[in-house]
Amino acid sequence: MTHELSDQVQSIVDNYLGRVRKHLKGLPEADRDELVLEIYSHIYESYMEAETEDEVQRVLDVLDRLGEPSEVVVSRLSGTIKSMGRSRNLPFYILTGFLISIFGIPLGIGGLALLVALGVTLAALTFTYFLTAGVLVIASWVTGIVTLIRISHPEFLGSYINTLSQFVDPPLGTILDLIGAGICLLLGLGMIWLGRHVPRGARFLFGLVGETFHSLRRRTLTAIGAGSTDDKPNGPELA
Amino acid sequence: MENKIRQLRKGILELAILGALENQTHYGYSLIRHLTRDRAIELTEGTIYPLLSRLAKEGLISARWTASSQGPPRKYYALTESGREAYEVLQGEFILLQDLVARASAPSDEDLNSKPGEIEVSEGTK
Repeated sequence: MTHELSDQVQSIVDNYLGRVRKHLKGLPEADRDELVLEIYSHIYESYMEAETEDEVQRVLDVLDRLGEPSEVVVSRLSGTIKSMGRSRNLPFYILTGFLISIFGIPLGIGGLALLVALGVTLAALTFTYFLTAGVLVIASWVTGIVTLIRISHPEFLGSYINTLSQFVDPPLGTILDLIGAGICLLLGLGMIWLGRHVPRGARFLFGLVGETFHSLRRRTLTAIGAGSTDDKPNGPELA
Repeated sequence: MENKIRQLRKGILELAILGALENQTHYGYSLIRHLTRDRAIELTEGTIYPLLSRLAKEGLISARWTASSQGPPRKYYALTESGREAYEVLQGEFILLQDLVARASAPSDEDLNSKPGEIEVSEGTK
């Protein structure tokens, strides 16, 4: 790539193109080369036409008008990955494209790590939630059965399970026990019933997080069209 | 707000790119120069490339590398047949929308004498 640019200018350009290239990791080699060549062509044309005396200032002006490497490549990269996912039918690529759209290139690995952490937390929360619900249901059954047995055998499992009927005289204690067991059962079943909505809630939560990052990223890209990674997954890129 | 501006510009810029390629081919830099020639609009030039890439992927424009008499080769873009059709349709739609916006803020004839607060959307602005 030497087309009569001075060494100093060439090294500035190479540095810029290197950053563009870095943002394009994950693209097929040929596509990456082609885009870098196209950007280089742009820089060359723009540089040759500029009139500033100082050549370093001149190339810096050119790069300034061109914008940050991330602006030049962000939407193209995620769009390309989406289309790779389509042609190879690998949902993984769609997911990757989606993640890049959400977190942007700058966040990179950090963003992915954050997402993984969020996922693990959510899984743990879900597990704990259903565990609690299950324990409540089991406890209510045990309490109910033990209470009923203790009507005729007051000492049944006396040293293992405490119920109110041991402290409050029957029949009041027994009734309170049964009411308590009923409440536990209702709570447990209620949690399980609510649990059916957990996936939807999780989707909503992730959507919210995703949207926040998305708009943050958009706000940092000041240029026209730089946000062309559409917020609609079935945007024109999927056409 | 910036997001709204960007969305609006993106769509219109795509239309402008198709329009610029209607009668001649362009490489990236010449296209930018063409679009900004009267300095009415300022572009972050790099952002045109994702748009070109997208339009090419949609088959509305085609791309071809051509050697330059001096300097590195240039990637020339041309309107495809489906791009030409899309441009006709989109341009017609754009003119209608432009008209809609222009008329939307102007008071319609029958409302000219009515008091503020009584103004209704007139049939003509549909």
